[in-house]
This record gives sequence, structure tokens and C-alpha cells, in this order.
Amino acid sequence: MGEVNRAVALGRKLTKLAFALTLLALVTLLGALSGCREPPRGIVVWHPYRGAEQKALESVAQTFSSARGVTVTLLAVPYDAYAAKLEAAIPRDNGPDVFVSPHERLGSYLANHLVAPAGDAFPDVDVARYVPTAVDAVTERGIRYAVPLASKCAALYINTKLLDEAPATLDALARKKGTLGAGVFPLVYEAQTVYFHVPLLHAFGGRIFDGTSYAMVGPEAERAAEKARDLMATGIVPPEPSGDLVKQLFASGKAAAVISGPWLAGDLEGGVSYRVVPLPSVEGAGKMRPFLTVDGAFLTPQGSTSALARELARFLGAPESADVRRFVGKQDVATKSAWDKREGHAPTADDAVLEAFHNAASDAVPMPTSLAMRATWVPAEQALRKVVRGEGSARAAMEEGLARYLDVMRPLPAKRPSPAPLVSLLGLTLLAAAFYAVKRARHPGFARELRASKPAYKYVLHSALTLMVLVVLPLVAGAGTSFFAGTRDAPQFVGLTNYIEILTVRGRPLGQWLSHGSFYLTLLVTVLWTVVNVVAHVSLGLALGLLLAKPYLRLRALYRVLLILPWAVPSYVTALAWKGMFHRQFGAVNAILVALGAEPISWFAKFSTAFAANVATNVWLGFPFMMVVVMGALTSIPKDVLEAAEVDGATRSQAFRLVTLPLLKPTLLPAVVLGSVWTFNMFNVVFLVSGGEPDGSTDILVSEAYRWAFARNAQFGYAAAYAVIIFGLLALMSRALGQVGKDKSEAKS
Amino acid sequence: MSQALQEASGTDSASIKAAAPSTPSPASLQSSGRAAPRCSVRGVTKSFGDTSILKGVDLAIPDGSFAVLVGPSGCGKSTLLRLVAGLEEADAGTITLAGKDVTRLPPRDRDVAMVFQSYALYPHLTVRGNLEFGLELRKTPRAEIDKRVAEAASMLGLEPLLGRLPKQLSGGQRQRVAMGRAIVRRPTIFLFDEPLSNLDAALRAEVRVEIRRLHDRLKATTLYVTHDQVEAMTLADTLWVLNNGLVEQKGPPLEVYERPRTTFVATFLGSPRMTMLDGVIVREKGCFYAEGGGVRALLDDDRFGDSLVEGRNVRIGIRPHDLGLAKNGAPSVAELKVEIVEALGSEAFAHGWLRASGPSVVARLDADEARSVRPGSAIRVAVAPSRMHLFDPKTGLALGL
Repeated sequence: MGEVNRAVALGRKLTKLAFALTLLALVTLLGALSGCREPPRGIVVWHPYRGAEQKALESVAQTFSSARGVTVTLLAVPYDAYAAKLEAAIPRDNGPDVFVSPHERLGSYLANHLVAPAGDAFPDVDVARYVPTAVDAVTERGIRYAVPLASKCAALYINTKLLDEAPATLDALARKKGTLGAGVFPLVYEAQTVYFHVPLLHAFGGRIFDGTSYAMVGPEAERAAEKARDLMATGIVPPEPSGDLVKQLFASGKAAAVISGPWLAGDLEGGVSYRVVPLPSVEGAGKMRPFLTVDGAFLTPQGSTSALARELARFLGAPESADVRRFVGKQDVATKSAWDKREGHAPTADDAVLEAFHNAASDAVPMPTSLAMRATWVPAEQALRKVVRGEGSARAAMEEGLARYLDVMRPLPAKRPSPAPLVSLLGLTLLAAAFYAVKRARHPGFARELRASKPAYKYVLHSALTLMVLVVLPLVAGAGTSFFAGTRDAPQFVGLTNYIEILTVRGRPLGQWLSHGSFYLTLLVTVLWTVVNVVAHVSLGLALGLLLAKPYLRLRALYRVLLILPWAVPSYVTALAWKGMFHRQFGAVNAILVALGAEPISWFAKFSTAFAANVATNVWLGFPFMMVVVMGALTSIPKDVLEAAEVDGATRSQAFRLVTLPLLKPTLLPAVVLGSVWTFNMFNVVFLVSGGEPDGSTDILVSEAYRWAFARNAQFGYAAAYAVIIFGLLALMSRALGQVGKDKSEAKS
Repeated sequence: MSQALQEASGTDSASIKAAAPSTPSPASLQSSGRAAPRCSVRGVTKSFGDTSILKGVDLAIPDGSFAVLVGPSGCGKSTLLRLVAGLEEADAGTITLAGKDVTRLPPRDRDVAMVFQSYALYPHLTVRGNLEFGLELRKTPRAEIDKRVAEAASMLGLEPLLGRLPKQLSGGQRQRVAMGRAIVRRPTIFLFDEPLSNLDAALRAEVRVEIRRLHDRLKATTLYVTHDQVEAMTLADTLWVLNNGLVEQKGPPLEVYERPRTTFVATFLGSPRMTMLDGVIVREKGCFYAEGGGVRALLDDDRFGDSLVEGRNVRIGIRPHDLGLAKNGAPSVAELKVEIVEALGSEAFAHGWLRASGPSVVARLDADEARSVRPGSAIRVAVAPSRMHLFDPKTGLALGL
């Protein structure tokens, strides 16, 4: 016996030892791994380029590397994640020395301390090297921050089969309508997207941003928006065009001209013969001038301390590398010398397009770099769309746009001297919790139970820890964030101000508490959204669940699989598919309507239809869950209880209403609570299908919270306060729904 | 106990099936000349897929009578009950309730009440709700509902339970609620589908008596399905023995017990079951004897009459209760080598063999006698000639009926 015990004890010790060794090995390995992440020596360059552009950059870097005997490491970072990666890496000295980026992010880079002045990478003598607009673009308050590399702007592509010559004015182009053949639009561009509306705005003398604030107001802006509306109303420009549509229509010869950027040229593979020209003028106004984006080579604070890095940045813009980037990379380079006439170089079609964009760029307006500029896009777009939809006057729409901008950019709430009131509140809560705990602990059974359950704790420890890390901590951190305002770098404690602002609709008079952007309006929409969806989910799920339970139904298993399928597809895929189906011109839904002889519907132009589209998508996504729940619950209803009802004289509907339904209730109720919570927070569908269209009116609380955090000047504290309010509402709702179930069953007993 | 009976009856029923054509038509078994029966079933057949469950059943239950359908599991008795209830539809034949042809009517138009094996109480309704359910569906006036519920509740002792949910009741209480639910309906016929099989033995005996008492009080026409022969014997006015989708025998329970028409009925009813031995009829000194398997028993001329032919092969049936110690000079019929003695207190059963190769035979002993019988000893056993049963080994039919 003793032998065995000793052996067991030894075994345990060995297990423990092995465990400890494994842990040690893991820790060491992790340490080694982080060692691997040491930045390599030499110069590191990040860029978002692909294809030819990447090849050109690599070739230039190679030249520099062999000339100077230094290693240059190029890292292509996907554009979607570019800013986030820079923000994560540079402050930790893990980032590049030089990075290539569009210039309009400069404001954000400066705010996050991600860039240093170009210094001797761009000395005064170099200014004459570059196109003046490009130099303007990378200059902020007289300081040059990047070496300008290449420009991008929109220009006019014309189909040379349909148009003999470039139209001098927009109106001349418009007059071609009807002469181009059936179903051919004179002009196609993303008229409801501000980036492509800006040329028109500039033509009428308006602007979107005046350097400090939103500026798309006033008669110029109104006339530009009205012009866009008229173009669509008269069928010169198709309504609701997307980037894909622009490409499709032009490639298939259904568009005489399109406004697009250089990226379109790469997507047109023969088939259509075209030419690129600068944007036309507007009669009675000025020239259409697009926004100019300049890719620049920026120096990070770390990189700016290295002479070699500065030298490399300068070299990237130098004439010899500019030639490579132009001829290999097909870039509209900002270096003037690259555009000199060459001897012995046979111009190709690509060159012609490139040159056309280069010419168009000379008239373009550099996009403002200010951080505040970023907050103008959404209000401007909503204002533009409102005019295009013909809702109210252009003036009202423009003023609403300004109001939205000011709402987002409102001044920070006053800084609280100390978090004392909040701390005392927290203290009181803790005190109450402590009292409760003491009361519980003094209960005679408590100590005994605690002792008895002691061995169980080690079994739940890991899940408790996981929950702590994955659920509780983020919740607490989120709730904590809600007491702050301002940027991430300089948060400012504001106490409950965020909550007060949300609940008082940022100090608006009571009469406007249900106007756009108000918490209460969004709450109303969210409640409506939840109720409509859950009712539809439950009734559809119930009907199908009952149908699938019928033993005489053939191919039951097949139907069951088919009906559960919507659930198996990732919800964002479904949402995108439905968004496509609701497209005004090319969606399946409208195609069916037209085939049935009805008028096509602009689904996202009106609240009711946009909401209906969202609901349709979410019902599609949500009913399988309820159906499965009902199917499961039905199997737990004994057959003879239903037979007893039959013998007792119940008709089929009576048996359903009086027996089946009450027996389903205990299972269905938790499912309804869950479904309500999911629907209340169904971000995917709302964000992807209607995207809040029109005017953010179909946004629900959670998508509104997202916009405050990620689209409206990064007001994380405000968004966190939204999230906490949502959490509170859902907690209350679950309690209330649970209570409903209890009351009824108790009332009956 | 009854379980063993069912299983054992399997072999016998096979011989019955072969003999089916020569059985007297069940219709002729019905008591004729009385008032129209409350419930009558004529020529009903029912198959599920390829499996034929009922093969032409006739049944007649007079008004106020308690009919028990008994048979081994799978014999079709529950199916017949469900056909009467309307939960299944007959393939052919007619079902009449109170003179109305209900063969194709749904249950709600038949005015029947049923007590299910699992009770099938509505779990979401209280006892009162369960009792009221059927009446409310029939739009019975409130006052009437209250009256009937109160009546049934007091009859069954349910008053203190009216506010409870089924899950808060014991098995016996649920059973009573299920009966109450049927009683308040005052239907044409009460249908019971093995209502006691989910109760423990003691409770079963108690409820059995209660059901009979209720029936005597309510005079309600009842069709009761069970596989338990004790229930069948104690409850029935008329017993209908069902086997393989056909009625084997009907009649008052004692008559069926004492004069089983077939080997199946003979072995199905009675516990311990009837001993069956192969034998022949012999004649000696003007008396007929049945001889075989170690038995030699005097037969009653009056009872068997012409069927006693010397040299005829027969199956000899003796109920253990009729086989006792030979005493007071009564001629013994066999010598039993005792293997074990089961003492039940009031009586005892001696299990043993008549012949080394023969089947196990059981004899009943008085409690006093049991003390003197030891396992391993041999006892002489006797049976009264009037208690002998003889069956044709080919057809399985009883001789001398």
C-alpha cells in the first residue's frame, strides 16, 4: 500500500514538474519570438502599393540600396489597415523610417505624432523640382512634411466611339442625351458620393472645407447640389451609381463619359476605346476641379533622425527615380522632369492616359489635410443626397449638413476638476454591494456551503478567468471610457457629461428631441426595429417549425436543411447579398417588381422602404433560429396531450392555441429574449444593408454608437456612453421579458 | 407476473391462428335480443403499412356495462380503443356510438372521454383547468361547469388539489385527475387505455377498486384496455380476450376463466398459468382417462360427452390451483417430484417435474401442507375430474364445450 501511495505521490510530483517545465519553455519561446520582432538594420519603408507601382518602388529602392550600401526593406501594408498599423507601430518604435501615404492623412498623422518635418529630404532647392499643387498638398503651415511622389485625381473618360471630341462643357455633354443610342447615358459618375460631387461644387465656386470648418453651405453649394439633382432627374446621369456600376456601364458602352480616377484605366481591359481628358466646365459657372491626392514619402520621428532615411526619401522624388515610377509604375509623378519630352521614346496608349491625368491634376484642388476635414464627408454626403432625393429645399439640406457637422465637432465639455462625485457614487455602490455580501455571508448556511463547494472552485477557475478577461474587463474598460472625452492621446475626465449630453440631445431644445441624430429618435427606431423583427422571426419560425413537424410532409429533411441554410451563411455575406438585391437599377427585387408591372423602388431613398429592406434581410437571417427552437420544443410536447385535447373536443386551431402554444412558451420565451437582444444589437444588417440611409434615419443605437466612435471625429467616450446605455436598456429588457413569462404562469396557477 | 403470461402465450396463439376459420363466428357469441348496444364495432380492420393489426373485430357493449379488452401486447387492443376514440381511422367496418355511425367522424364529434396510460394531463393547466378544458370547449355554461367540476372533485377527493399543476401531483393523484377529466364530460362512453400501468402495485390495487366503485355509481358505459389479467378479471362485466387482431373469446370473466375456449385463453388467464401436457384418452373399466406426461386423470363423461374417443390425442390442461395433494383417499393423478416450494403465506406453490423430460408443473398447497413438503421429496397430487381441461392439439379448441 505504502509503495503504491509513494508511487502515486511521485507521479503527481513529476506531472507538476513537467507542467512547470512546459510553462517555462513556453515563456522562453515567447521571449524568443519577441526577440525575432526586432526591426532589421537598415532603412524600413512601408507603402500601400501593389502591382506595377510596387515594382517601380522596389526598383528605386534597389538602386538606392546598391548606391549607398545600405539595406532598404520594403513592406507592403494593405491600405485598409495602413493607418491603424502606423498608429500601432510608430509610437512603439516598431514602425518604418519612411512611409508612403496619401497626403490628406497628414492632419491625423500630426495629431498622433507619427510624422516629422521632411527637413533636408525636401530642401528649398527642391521646390522647383515638383508640380506646385503637389508641393502645396504636402505643406502644412509652411512646413513641408513629405516628398511628393505621385498625384491622383478624377478626370473624364470618354468613349471615343460615342463622342468624337471631348465636350467643352458639362451642358454640351448633357445635350447629347437621346442622340447616343438606346440606354446610353451621356455621363455616369458617383453623383451621390461627395468625392465625385466636389468638382461640381468647385465649378460653382463652393467648397466643402474652408481650412478650419465645414463650408458646404451658401448659394454656391446649393446651386451645385441642385445641378446634380437636375442631372439625375433628367436622366443624364443614372441614379444611385456605385463605383462598380460606373465601370460596368463604361466598359459595356452604356456611358458616353464617366468621371473616375486612374484606377478605372487598370480595370478596363480592351473592349472599349477611350480617351482621358480634364473635366469640363459648367456653363454659367467655372471649371470642374476635382480633389487632388498626393502620395508622399513621409518620415517618421524615428526615421527623421537618420540621415540615410532622409536621403532615401529625397531620392524617391529625384528625377531618376521619378522616371522609373512614371514608366514602370505608371504613376502620375509629381516630379516635373519626368514629363519632359523624350527622344526615342515611342508614346503608348498608357502614356497618353497618364499624361491626360497629369494635365488634369494641374487644375485639381489638393484635398485639405486638417483632421476636421474628415468630419465633413458624412454631413456633406447626407446633405447632397437629401437634395438629390428632392426632399425639401437645397438651402435647408445644406444648413442641416452644417448642423450635423457642428454637432459632431461641438467643443469638448468642460473639464471636471476632479472625479470626486463619480468616485463617491462608485463608493456608495461598492458599499451597498458589501452590505449585501455581508448579509449573505451571515446566513448560517453560507459558510457551510462555501466549505462544501471548495473543491469545485478549481474547476471553474479557468472559465471564470476567461470570462473576466474577455467579458468583464472590456465591459469595465468601456464603462470607464464613457467618463472621458477628447482624443485618445489626451482624454479628459468629464464625469457624466457624455450621458447628460446623450440624454438631453446635446442641449437641444425639447422640441427637437426627436430630430435627426437624437438619441430618442434612434431609440424609437431601434425599438420599432426590434419589435418588428422579433414578431416576424417568431411567427415565421413558428409557422415553418410547425409545418416541418408534419409527418406527412415529404422531403422534410431537405426542407429543414434548406431553411436552416440562411443561418449557416455568415451574416455579413447575407447582408451584402441583400443590399445588392435592393439596388435601384440592377437589384433582383426591383427586377421582379418591374416584371410584375410595378414601378421600381429606390429602396434606400425613403425611411419606410429602407427600413423594410433591413427588416427583410434580418428576418431572412433570424427566422431559422426560431424555427429550430420551435422544432425542438415541439418534440418535447407529448403526443397524447394533443390527443387528449382532440378527444376533449378541440379543433385543430383550438388545440394549437390552447395546448401547443402554451407548451411552447417556456422554450420560446428565452429564445425571444435572446432574439430581442441580438436584433437590438444587429449591427451587421443595419450597417451593411441600408448603412443608415436615408440620412442616418435607419440607424439603430449600436450603429449610431459605432459612428460616434469611428466616423464622427473619434468620440470614443461618447460612443462608450452610448454602449453603456444600450447595455442598461438590454439588461432592463431581459428582466422585463423574463417577468412577463413568470407573471403569466403564476397567474394561471 | 402478467408479463410472463404474455410471453408464454406466444406459442399457443400460433396454433390458434391456423385454426381461426373453424372458430365459431364471434358474432354468434354476442348476446342477442337485448336493447341496442351503447357501443358497437362491426368488422373493423386496421393496418399500419403492411402490418395488419385488426383483422375484423366485432364488439358490442351494452349501456352501462363495463367491458374489458384484454390480450398480450401487440394484439391490437389499444388500436381498437383508439379507433373507437377516433384517434385512428378504421380501414373497414363500422363503429356505432349510441346508435350513431361515427366511423369517419373526428374525436370531437364522438362524445367520448378517454383516460390515457400516461394520463396526458395538460401540463400548463391546473387541476381545475384540466377538468374544465373539455367543457369550456363545448361552451358549457359556467354554472354547469362549476357544478360538474365540484362533483367530480368530491367524488375523487381532488378538492385540495384543484389549484395545483400536474407536475406538483403524485402519480396516483394524476391518475385521479385524468379520470376526473373524463367524468366531468359525461360522455357516451368512457375509454381507459391501461390507466393503471404507471402506478405501483399497492396503488394499482387500490385504484382498481376505486374504478369499479365509480362505475357502479355512475353506471357509465366503459371500454377498458389492459394486459393485466387481474384488472381484467376484477373489473369486467364482460371480458373480451383479443389475440392477433381477433376476438378469441368473450363473456363474463369467471366463465371465460373456467371455460376457456382455446389454449391461448386458457394459458393467458390465470396465474400461475395453466399446465399443458400432451396426452391421449384411454378407457378403462368404462371410465375415460386422460393419460400423458406422467398424468393419469379421470375425466367427466357428462362434460366432454362425445368428444371422448379412445386413443384420441389431446392436450391436457390443469390449472395449478386445481392441482392439490391427494388426500382423503382421492385417487392421485400423478407423482410430483418437488424442486422448490414457494410459500406465499396463505398458500404455497410446489414447482416440480412429473417426468424427467416433461415440463415444469405447479401444484397448489395449503399453508399447512406446505410445511410437510420438502424440496426433493415426491408428492402425490390429485385434481377433480370437473376441473380438467382438454384441447384438440391441432386446432387448440377446447373439447366438451
